[in-house]
Amino acid sequence: MKRTALTPKLLVLGVDGMDPRITQKFLAEGKMPNLKKFIERGSAREDLKLLGAIPTITPPCWTTLATGAYPGTHGITCYWRQSPESLDAVVYNMDSRNCTAEQIWNITSEAGMKTLVWHWPGSSWPPTSHSENLSVVDGTQPGSVNMGVAQLDWEKVIVATPDITDVRYAPRVDKPAGVGCIITDLEDSLDADVDDEMMELWWGDTARQGGEIRTYVMDDEDTEVVIGSKVAYDIVNSPLKDATGWANAPEGAKEFTILTSGGVMRRPALILKNEAGEYDRVAIYKNKKAEEPIVTLVRDVMETGIIDDVTKKEVTKPACRSMKILELDPAGNKVRLWISNALDIANDQLWHPKTLFNEVIENVGVVPPVSLIGGEDAELVGEIFEPSWVKYNKWQADCMNYCIKEKGYEVVFSHLHNIDCAGHQLWHLGKTLAPWDHTDEKTYQGFIEKFYVQTDDYLGEFMHLLDEGWTVFLLSDHGLIVGENVPPIIGEYGGLNTKVMEELGYTVMKKDENGNSIREVDWEKTRAVQIRSNYIYINLKGRDKFGIVDPKDKYDLEEQIISDLYNYRDDRTGKRVIGICLRNKDAVLIGANGPECGDIFFSVEEGYNRLHGDSISTSEGYFETSVSPIFVAAGSGIKSGFTTERTIRQVDVAPSVSVLLGLRFPAQCEGAPIYQIFSEEV
Amino acid sequence: MSLQQLNSNQFEEIIYDNAEACLVMFSRKDCHVCKQVAPMLEEMKPQYEGKFGFYYVDVEEDKNLFQRFSLKGVPQVLFFNDGEYQGKLAGKVEEEAIEEKIAEVLGA
Repeated sequence: MKRTALTPKLLVLGVDGMDPRITQKFLAEGKMPNLKKFIERGSAREDLKLLGAIPTITPPCWTTLATGAYPGTHGITCYWRQSPESLDAVVYNMDSRNCTAEQIWNITSEAGMKTLVWHWPGSSWPPTSHSENLSVVDGTQPGSVNMGVAQLDWEKVIVATPDITDVRYAPRVDKPAGVGCIITDLEDSLDADVDDEMMELWWGDTARQGGEIRTYVMDDEDTEVVIGSKVAYDIVNSPLKDATGWANAPEGAKEFTILTSGGVMRRPALILKNEAGEYDRVAIYKNKKAEEPIVTLVRDVMETGIIDDVTKKEVTKPACRSMKILELDPAGNKVRLWISNALDIANDQLWHPKTLFNEVIENVGVVPPVSLIGGEDAELVGEIFEPSWVKYNKWQADCMNYCIKEKGYEVVFSHLHNIDCAGHQLWHLGKTLAPWDHTDEKTYQGFIEKFYVQTDDYLGEFMHLLDEGWTVFLLSDHGLIVGENVPPIIGEYGGLNTKVMEELGYTVMKKDENGNSIREVDWEKTRAVQIRSNYIYINLKGRDKFGIVDPKDKYDLEEQIISDLYNYRDDRTGKRVIGICLRNKDAVLIGANGPECGDIFFSVEEGYNRLHGDSISTSEGYFETSVSPIFVAAGSGIKSGFTTERTIRQVDVAPSVSVLLGLRFPAQCEGAPIYQIFSEEV
Repeated sequence: MSLQQLNSNQFEEIIYDNAEACLVMFSRKDCHVCKQVAPMLEEMKPQYEGKFGFYYVDVEEDKNLFQRFSLKGVPQVLFFNDGEYQGKLAGKVEEEAIEEKIAEVLGA
């Protein structure tokens, strides 16, 4: 394939969860000035939309963007992959070896272009080409670089007052918003197994090796919007008293104790007075004999890059943390402090080549941890969660600019998770529905805006490339909606959804002595299950371990299920909640067919959707949100100030990269170049 | 028991403020294994006088210490030096294992 390139260099700025509909709202309000300039210099649809692949789930859509193939073709059909052994379990799916379509970065690197794939959560890790031109950073989870493998300790809130008599530590406390962080009852949590590492469970070594994950979604309490908005962190309580026994404590300083590393590491800290006699700083020391603090914090400033030893499973390593003062009484009678999780600063496991890790760390800085606490606690969202992403965004932008400027990368595929991460914790609170009527939707709509404003700042870090011969794509995998209603218990991507299928009589759960369903499927009576975002599997004889449905009855059973789903009415509103239902063979229409897509594909009707995933790409929600992904392109080879009416599909992105760089199309590509926006005829 | 018992605040003082090299047995009164490990530690204590401290915490009296170190069951012997946690030995531990660990902690 010989083609003249329209650009020498191309950057894909992927922003997970970025929604063109709400983006337009913030653009119109003048809150996204960099994006405004970017659109003016480039091409997009008037509505900025990209037509997303189905399902509207992160790994399938990023894989479609990378391959130009639909999920049914590339085989990454949900966040998780169906377990080959069990109809009620899922396995890890962000492994490039599961992808049955060719990634565009193999083509760019093998054509001699130095290519960087940065944290792309869809079929990027492990690297899929032996080309020495290909560099890959993480991509094993959507969170942030190294989040799945380098975490050594969890987030903490430390409270110290003179009234607290001894140092106390409570791990992973689920705390309703507004309740003070004072540990009153240790009994409750003493025997509870600490739900240690969700990170490790989902994305750690065992998961990545294919271990089954079995999650049953049986009622509202099991859904992500309920679980995700709970705030869980370690709480440390400490006495606050006059400093004694210190090598170098300033006059008037008061001391308190911080515990880290699951409680085994202890750091003494001081609150310090300013010249006016008011306490305004916190200094944290390795021990009381240390001359210099590890860090001195001032009010309202989040510090990151704080390196301290952390012990996990009896091994001690230096780790990076961020910290911020939440409250400091000027009179010195109370201090509240947040400490981030801790990331091992030497973990280069998911960097290829490994030399890139050291270069980035030495020249840009260690990976800053992002906060995952906030949810219904507006103070933590505003003070901690959102600002921690601002820090991370800047670090990531600096890394990519360093690689572009100093390392000579010519093609960069990148992914940032800020909006989607916030969306999963907060977006549902953007409409005050009954289960969370203790929160205020205006407050959370304000947080949504903040995440878009910080995304605009991130985009601003790359605007200079438009003057340096680069082509830049801004795009996303899907948007996230603010739900109009509490979603029905069907279509949750995390696992097996039982409620609706149980009501319809297809899934049968075992019962306790009172006749209530327990968390165990009765396979002898179960004819079909609904698992992952959009799939129904018939419990088929000869195919499934406990199959009871004769293959000759499969077609009729599918018809009956489809009919029952369309007739199903939500018990809260009395309305239909199922959108479209298709047999596997018919789901080729939406690219959700084939061996990884179950026997029936279905979606949840607009108005009843959860954040994303159960919806189709065109679904809309409250507060001007939508599930649609975004697409804007600018720079070399792209028309300036141009609006196209063409429907741009996610499968069209990879072939457009091919044309712009003068390269061949990916082998399984099903899309077509967006030639209407190119500056030259091709 | 001839080992000195530590409450929460004494624990802070001895382990952290004084940064003493020492071990702390976490035990419970009605625990059979604890009753076997404690006399062994008492016997070892004099040999280490002035070099390495021997203490114990009653986990029923000081639950927060038990919880802080995320301990599952007793007895557990935790080691400290320079105010830093140095690891632990759990269950019916042998004298040699304690000696080796002390040597390791003092050597570090």
